Amino acid sequence: MSTEIQFDLDRPWQVDPRVSMRPEPFGALLYHFGTRRLSFLKNQRVLAVVRALGDHPSARAACTAAGVTEAELPAYRRALAALAESSMISERTVV
Amino acid sequence: MAEQTVAEAAETEALTSDELLVEEVSIDGMCGVY
Repeated sequence: MSTEIQFDLDRPWQVDPRVSMRPEPFGALLYHFGTRRLSFLKNQRVLAVVRALGDHPSARAACTAAGVTEAELPAYRRALAALAESSMISERTVV
Repeated sequence: MAEQTVAEAAETEALTSDELLVEEVSIDGMCGVY
């Protein structure tokens, strides 16, 4: 079972407006009011990345701002791809 | 308490990432739980 998920780190992303995000000791709990799905962010850094998405021109910049290293980037890309697949995050238009 | 119920009733499907940065849970089974 291979998951070939496309996710463009160089595009701007945001937490979907229908998502409620609750910080937890392990990271955070996301609930999507449209799909009624839950996602757990399993550490503080991935939470920092998700929080930073809306403030940066690209997901890559958000990762950098959250302290994600080049070596860690593929794992975070997969995590963001999963969040995009479940509509927790969505592309946003920039001015 | 509510969280425990959610955790117990949910069908956990670990998706994603190599290092398990994200885990998804379906709460469809929660429909009859109050």
